[in-house]
Amino acid sequence: MSKASIGRQTTWVEKALRVALYTVLLIMAAVYLMPFLVMLLTSLKDVEEIRTGTLLSLPSTLDLSAWSKAWGEACTGNNCGGISPYFLNSFQIVIPAVLISTLLGAINGYVISLWKFRGSDLFFAALLVGCFIPFQVILLPMARTLGWLGIANTTTGLVFVHVVYGVAFTTLFFRNFYQAIPGELVKAARLDGAGFFTIFYRIILPLSTPIIVVTVIWQFTQIWNDFLFGVAFSGFDTQPVTVALNNLVNTSFGGKEYNVDMAAAIIAALPTLAVYVLAGKYFVRGLTAGAVKG
Amino acid sequence: MANLVIDNVKKRYGTTEVLKGINIAIEAGEFLILVGPSGCGKSTLMNSIAGLEDVSEGRILIADNDVTYTSPKDRDIAMVFQSYALYPNMTVAQNISFGLEMRKVPKEEREVEVQRVAELLQISHLLNRKPAQLSGGQRQRVAMGRALARRPQLYLFDEPLSNLDAKLRVEMRTEIKKLHQKLGTTIVYVTHDQIEAMTLADRIAVMKDGEVQQLGTPQEIYDNPANLFVAGFMGSPAMNFIPAKVVSQDGNPMLELATNSTVTLPFPKPEALANHIGQTVLLGLRPEMITEPQPHKVGQDFVTTTDIKVEVTEPMGADTMIITRVNDAEINCRSNPAYPAAPGSVIEMMFDTSKAVVFDQASGQRLDI
Repeated sequence: MSKASIGRQTTWVEKALRVALYTVLLIMAAVYLMPFLVMLLTSLKDVEEIRTGTLLSLPSTLDLSAWSKAWGEACTGNNCGGISPYFLNSFQIVIPAVLISTLLGAINGYVISLWKFRGSDLFFAALLVGCFIPFQVILLPMARTLGWLGIANTTTGLVFVHVVYGVAFTTLFFRNFYQAIPGELVKAARLDGAGFFTIFYRIILPLSTPIIVVTVIWQFTQIWNDFLFGVAFSGFDTQPVTVALNNLVNTSFGGKEYNVDMAAAIIAALPTLAVYVLAGKYFVRGLTAGAVKG
Repeated sequence: MANLVIDNVKKRYGTTEVLKGINIAIEAGEFLILVGPSGCGKSTLMNSIAGLEDVSEGRILIADNDVTYTSPKDRDIAMVFQSYALYPNMTVAQNISFGLEMRKVPKEEREVEVQRVAELLQISHLLNRKPAQLSGGQRQRVAMGRALARRPQLYLFDEPLSNLDAKLRVEMRTEIKKLHQKLGTTIVYVTHDQIEAMTLADRIAVMKDGEVQQLGTPQEIYDNPANLFVAGFMGSPAMNFIPAKVVSQDGNPMLELATNSTVTLPFPKPEALANHIGQTVLLGLRPEMITEPQPHKVGQDFVTTTDIKVEVTEPMGADTMIITRVNDAEINCRSNPAYPAAPGSVIEMMFDTSKAVVFDQASGQRLDI
C-alpha cells in the first residue's frame, strides 16, 4: 500500500536497457543520415579539397559554386545548361500525372466500394494485379502504344505512362479508405435526390483528405523518382531530372567533379524531401486511417 | 401523405428467394411496422420500397402510382437509417437542407424549412454543429429532421432506435409516436424489437423467412397470433407453450396438465379440440394468465386453481416472474411481488385459460381459428 503511493522506482536494469535502446536508435539514425551528410559536405568543397581531404572532413570555406554549376552550367551530354531545365520537365510530368491518377483512383475506389456492380470485386482483383507488374515488362508494349497514340518522346506520353501505372495503386488506396464509409451514407444521399457525381463531390470527397494526402505523396515520390520510364520514353527535351542527373554524373571532361554531382543529386531529391517534411505526418495518419473507424 | 401497396413482391438473389411474395396494403397516415428476426427479409423489403434494391417480381404503389421501377429520388420518400447516415462534413442545418437543395428549393425557403423542423424536434441550438459533435440522441433527431424537411409522401424508418441506449430508446419511441400523431404521416418502420412494434404500430407485419406471417393491429397479434412463431416472437417474457394432452371429461375436451398434481383445464373453444382427443397439442398461455389466486376471478368459467412447485423467482419490481415446470416444459408465471413464492416451495396459482390458444405440435399452426 505505502510502496504504491511513493511511486515506482526504476531499477538499474531498466535504466541500462533504456540507454541501450537509445544507443541502438542513434546508431541506426547515423547509418541512414551519414550518406546525406557526406553528400552535403562534398557538395560544399572544391575539387582540390575533395581530392586531398577525407570523406568526413569539414569544408574549409563555404563554397556554393558547385550548387550554381549543377543548377545552371553543368553539362549533361552535349547540353551544358545544368539540371534546371530537366527539373522543370519533372514538374511538368509529375503534377498532371499525380493529379490525374489521384482523381481516377478516387473515382475508381468510390465505384468499387460504394456502387458495387456485378463483378466489381473481380474488377478490383484484376486491377490489383497491376500493382505487381514489374516496370520492365511493359517497356516494349508501352513503347508501341505510345507510338501508335502519337505521343512517343513527349511529356504527354510520360504523363500517360505514369497515370496508367499509378491507377492500380491509387485505386487500391481509395478503395480501402472508402470501404470504411457506411453504404447508408450513399443511400441517404440518393433518397435526398443526389446523383453519382454530386454524392462524390459533395459528400465523399470532403471526407477523403487523409487518403488524398497519402496518395499524392505516394504518387509524387514514385513519379518524381522514376528513372526507367523517364529514360525509356522521354525525348531529348523532355527528360526528367533523374535521367539528367545520370547523364550529368556520366559526362566528364577531365577530372570528375564530385561536388557538382552531389549538389545536383541533392537538388534532384529536394522536392520529395519537401513533400515528406510538409505532409509526412498526414502520410502515417492516412495509412492507418482505415484501420480504426473514427 | 399517401397510401402504400406492396403487391406480391418477390426478391431473389441468384436462386435464394429472400422475399417470397409479400402483400401489404396500408392506408394514408398509417404507421406500419415490419418486425421479425434478423434475416427475415424486412430490411430487403424496406430497401425495395425505397427503390435502393430492385424487386424480382411484383409491384409497389405509392399514392396509387406504380413506382416499382422508379428511381429512389423520384419516389418522394424519406428514410431514417440505423446508423443515421448524417453527412459528416456538413453542419446539422446543411444536413437537413441537403435534400431540399438537391430538389432546387430556393435558399430562403430552405432556411425557413430548417427552422421549422429544428423547432419541431428541438434542435435549434445544434444547427451549426457537425454530426461528430452530437450525442446519439441528438444525431437521431437530426436524422429525423432530415427526413421531415422534405415533407415526403412516405417515411421509412430502418431500425432507427437500435443504436441508442435503453433509456433514450424509450424516450425517442415516445417522441416518434407523438410526432406521428401530430403530423399524421404514413410511416413504414423496420425493427427487430417486438416492444417497439407493439407500442408504435397501427398495424404490425410479422415476418419470417421472407414471408409475412401475420398482418394485424398490435392487440390482434398479441391476443390472436396466427401461428407458433408469431406467438413466440411477440410478447416479453414470451408466451408459454405447454404440450398438453386433450382428454374428454363429461363429453367436453379438456387439456391435461401435470403441475404438482394432475389437473384438467377448460378451453374457450372446445369445438376446436374435439377432433384431437387423445392427441397432444401445444397450449399457448401468456405469463400474465398464470397468477397468484385473485379473489375476483374465483368462480369464473375458465379459471383453475392448482399447486405448482417454484423453481426460480425473478423479481422485476412491478411483478415477480415465477418459473416452474408443467408437463416438462419450463413456464413463466407473473405474480404479485407480495405473494410468497420461495424457490422449492409448493404454492397455489391460478390458471386463466380464457385467452389461451392451441397450436398443432408439428406444424405450429393455430388449431382454434
